[in-house]
Amino acid sequence: MQYTINNLKVLIDELIKNYLVYSPKRVNKTTTLYGSIASFSEYDSEVLLTNTTAKGLIYSQSERLFDIKKRADAVGLIEEDMVKKTIIFGCRPCDARGFSLLDTLFDWDNYRDEYYFRKRDNTAVISISCGQPETTCFCTSFKDGGPDSTVGSDLLLTLIKDIYLVDVVTDKGKKIVEDYQSYFYQTTEDIAEKNENRMPEKINMGVIKQRLDDSFESPYWDTVHLPCLKCGVCTFVCPTCYCFDITEKEFDYTCGERNRTWDTCMSEIFTRMAGGANPRLDPKRRFRQRMMHKFKYHVDNFNEELCTGCGRCIKYCPAGVDVRKVLEEVK
Amino acid sequence: MQNTNIYLPHIAKVVEIKEETQDVKSFRFEFVELKLRENFTWKAGQFLILSIFGVGEAVFTFANPQTRKEFVECSIRKVGLVTEAIHELEVGDTVGIRGPYGNWFPFEEFGSKNLLFVAGGIGIAALRSSIEYSMDTRNDYGKITILYGARSPMDICYKDKIVEWQNSDNVEVALTVDRGNDEWKHRVGLIPTILKEMNPAAENTVAIICGPPIMIKFTLKALSELGFTNDNIVTTLEMKMKCGLGKCGRCNIGNIYVCKDGPVFSYEQIEGLPDEY
Repeated sequence: MQYTINNLKVLIDELIKNYLVYSPKRVNKTTTLYGSIASFSEYDSEVLLTNTTAKGLIYSQSERLFDIKKRADAVGLIEEDMVKKTIIFGCRPCDARGFSLLDTLFDWDNYRDEYYFRKRDNTAVISISCGQPETTCFCTSFKDGGPDSTVGSDLLLTLIKDIYLVDVVTDKGKKIVEDYQSYFYQTTEDIAEKNENRMPEKINMGVIKQRLDDSFESPYWDTVHLPCLKCGVCTFVCPTCYCFDITEKEFDYTCGERNRTWDTCMSEIFTRMAGGANPRLDPKRRFRQRMMHKFKYHVDNFNEELCTGCGRCIKYCPAGVDVRKVLEEVK
Repeated sequence: MQNTNIYLPHIAKVVEIKEETQDVKSFRFEFVELKLRENFTWKAGQFLILSIFGVGEAVFTFANPQTRKEFVECSIRKVGLVTEAIHELEVGDTVGIRGPYGNWFPFEEFGSKNLLFVAGGIGIAALRSSIEYSMDTRNDYGKITILYGARSPMDICYKDKIVEWQNSDNVEVALTVDRGNDEWKHRVGLIPTILKEMNPAAENTVAIICGPPIMIKFTLKALSELGFTNDNIVTTLEMKMKCGLGKCGRCNIGNIYVCKDGPVFSYEQIEGLPDEY
């Protein structure tokens, strides 16, 4: 069954009444970030890619794991589990596919991360297919990627002329269509059209993986990392970088909290052990680790790259490092 | 033994503290929850993550084996922020424990072989659980040889345990230090060198190693020279860890995670890994 939405504004305004709705929201002339919206008018539909990803709406940049309350003879650990029904609206397929990659990682090897899934299970992702790609986009390089990819989304909307065609991807998406059926119109007409002009550039991941398999000791890494400042912005804007730190905050001698915070493999202290030993002290090793992790180690473990091709790491790198170029020139 | 919340530690109390050396203390912990005291178990070689509330978490191996599990015991060297706070602990203080994590020394595969334990520095803590486990299941194994090296005579841990081991049947203990003193009656020299001097028979013997990375690298080499085959050498590897669950992303060596695929590896496995440990 296919559906269309003729008036997106009234649907979203209706959803806002019952859900916490996030969408791309303009902060200033050059910055659009995800923010909660009180009406459809706050949604920035102009921008293709928000400056940062939707990742943080489910996997928070910093979140409390539990409160610590010390009494005279005991310690109490208090968890918080209030999660609101949420919708991420206006997500791009690359960010949505990021969630699907994170789903695997946070439920791996018998350990399920409840902090992530609490929010993931209570969040519906309504994505919008992309129009004209940016020069940094390369989502089509991946098996499940592309401007119309439904992976990770619950509903995918594609603007055709002035109506939205709806792909119902999951049961969660189906539920929204059922609950708000007066805003969705059934259609039997096949109005989907593929516009080849809006396909971003492709790089050949298969060939790259083969080269990476044998390149760990390659002198290529000695020089290719040199422009990189190891600032970590690539990991910060990445929809799939998931590494984290666990830290403790003590407010006074009786109260504190334990937090989980995004971390970056570009940082020297990331792998520095107590006592000072550090297997990735050399910045070259940290640069190589990021490339290898995303395009070799993760592929070895999960048979897909840890990248959605959103291109933000290329866009925001202060030193102009282009991951596509780094990979294509691996020897 | 997992909470549904994988980051939430179990509450435990310090019940005994023993000063081993100037910078190593052994702590015995007891869970507050009675059920856990009975049900919590592990295998020699696995590790736990200890919380000092208000300071943070750090990773330690179980120093006592599952055959002597009336307490959870850890021997901890003071090297960083968390271990400094641990050294301030007093009997009765509250800590958090989560785990056990990781794999273990595959005793089930050792059969009736001779065991050669090689421990460097605080690595003796991880091997103590294995040494005691093999003594408790003594009938299964042949000769037990223990080579333990420390920086100086002052840094030797488990002095009374060592005497106990020396007095056991079919056990040989060799001690070495980097720098001796007048009272030191044992060997002086680095572990790989001493190992070659000892010249243990490789036949029907498994070598079990734990220590700092540099010691491990050279010990692996020495054992190869002595004729130990790669599948008869097992060692621990050490990387920085935060979660212990294969999620926080920092303990990888290539595509393996030391926390969940290790910390115990055969030399055979290590040879296939990139040199980044």
